[in-house]
Amino acid sequence: MATLIIKDLHAEVEGKEILKGVNLTVNEGETIALLGPNGHGKSTLLNVIMGHPKYKVTQGSVTYDGVDILSKTTDERAKMGLFLAMQNPSEVPGVINSDFLRAAVNARNEKPISTYNFYKLLDKATKDVKMPFDLATRSLNEGFSGGEKKRNEILQMVMLNPHIAMLDEIDSGLDVDAIQIVADVIKQEQEKGMGFFVISHYARLYDLIHPSRAIVMINGKVVIDGDPSTIKRIDQEGYEFIKTELGIEIAKEEANMNTVSIGTCAVKEIIK
Amino acid sequence: MKRTILKENNLKELLTNDVNYFAIDSSLKEVDIPSNSSINLLITKPHQELTINVKENASLFLSLLVKENIDGGKLNINVSENAKVEVYFADFSFGKETYIFNGQLLGRDSSLNWHLASLTADNDQKQFDISVKHLANSTFAKMDNYGVCKDDGKLVFSGISHVINGASSSKTHQNAKIMVFDEKSIGIAKPILKIDENDVEASHAAVVGKINDEHLFYLTSRGLSESAAKELITLGYLKPILNGFMEEEIKEEIMSLIERRM
Ligand SMILES: Nc1ncnc2c1ncn2[C@@H]1O[C@H](COP(=O)(O)OP(=O)(O)OP(=O)(O)O)[C@@H](O)[C@H]1O
Ligand SMILES: [Mg+2]
Repeated sequence: MATLIIKDLHAEVEGKEILKGVNLTVNEGETIALLGPNGHGKSTLLNVIMGHPKYKVTQGSVTYDGVDILSKTTDERAKMGLFLAMQNPSEVPGVINSDFLRAAVNARNEKPISTYNFYKLLDKATKDVKMPFDLATRSLNEGFSGGEKKRNEILQMVMLNPHIAMLDEIDSGLDVDAIQIVADVIKQEQEKGMGFFVISHYARLYDLIHPSRAIVMINGKVVIDGDPSTIKRIDQEGYEFIKTELGIEIAKEEANMNTVSIGTCAVKEIIK
Repeated sequence: MKRTILKENNLKELLTNDVNYFAIDSSLKEVDIPSNSSINLLITKPHQELTINVKENASLFLSLLVKENIDGGKLNINVSENAKVEVYFADFSFGKETYIFNGQLLGRDSSLNWHLASLTADNDQKQFDISVKHLANSTFAKMDNYGVCKDDGKLVFSGISHVINGASSSKTHQNAKIMVFDEKSIGIAKPILKIDENDVEASHAAVVGKINDEHLFYLTSRGLSESAAKELITLGYLKPILNGFMEEEIKEEIMSLIERRM
């Protein structure tokens, strides 16, 4: 069984500790909901699992299928079957979406896929996610609307067929119909055995994809790992009960926490 | 598209409705683009000093490809009243060189769009001195200089936009971007605006830097190796220059030049 096991994981960004001892197991084929207030480390956890260079792991381990993945490069992790749909997918000017997808598909194949088979695969995937085909021929995410970017993430997931798909707020920016489309794709992949690790702030998506467990992260730690009824409760009451019932103080957002955490800070030295 | 070789400065005689695409012989020193004509010119051989005079109301689309070891070159383009010029320069040369471009907007309502994409690698040392001078009213110029610099290469873009006193209502823009691949490579962009007239719209932007880490993470998270991801990003950076070439074979040649030199 390709199980993802996270033990006592600590990670920091720019000297600030964000993950403070995460313990968690994601079984293959399982759908898990990941919740928590803004800025408490959800995206950080997924990015660390995928190997984002910005985060430094200072303690703990992550194994997948029995292999220590923290010593693997990001592309190796992807080829092992992990996938991350980003909260804020990058716009990469000049890189044509379909060229990128083809390179990604080929990275997994012994032999390069034929043009015919590639377009067949792409055509089917664009239909699955009901994405206009011309988005595939444009520059990667450049000028895509918020919802189009999210659909493009799901398109990539369908084409790359991972074992565990981690979806970071895939429902943010999607209209009601699009949430249904994405949920349908998820259900279709669930049936084929794909596992899901899904961050969302809203019950709507979870209602459609039926997670078997709900995880709540507070202050960089998992404080609840239990049945999915927690989702409903958070949806209705917020996170206050965690303080009153579990006695855990919820660190307030600092002023800078409102700024989206991944990739929005403009660095002069970096070409956009 | 059928091309005709231009051996002498006699475009006027050769030009017909069907014949308007010419490849320049490298020995030519001067080419006149007749007034009211619309010409496509292709240069695929290194040239020493070439002067192109674009006459009134003419439009010139110039595609320039350099792929050999050269020590430099010089191109002058003089643009008369109401004439339009578009230049696409794909530079895949190697060696140590200084390339000079002088654009002069001589007549009112003339315009010049300049696009350069340069790949600098393997100890190449390249300097591009690109200047445009606005000498008349309501003239327009835009320069886009894009470069990729790797393997101890050195690439310098120096761009000068000069608007003289009296060339009112003119617009001049410069944009330079150099992607530096490794620690030892050097990229320098020096955009200069010399504006001696008040009624002018001018801007310049220059970015020199390494590949965006977020972009790299995004691509590698889909299974592309770091080198494949870098290659794809670089390709995306240089590829827009293909828009400046009309023949499929030349587009393919440029693609394979990029791939080979990456
Ligand atoms: N480059 C950085 N420098 C400093 N702090 C950072 C940086 N990147 C992230 N952080 C901080 O890490 C913390 C956790 O961020 P993370 O993105 O993991 O939160 P989250 O739980 O996903 O929140 P949300 O629900 O808002 O998406 C935040 O306080 C954020 O500001
Ligand atoms: Mg987040």
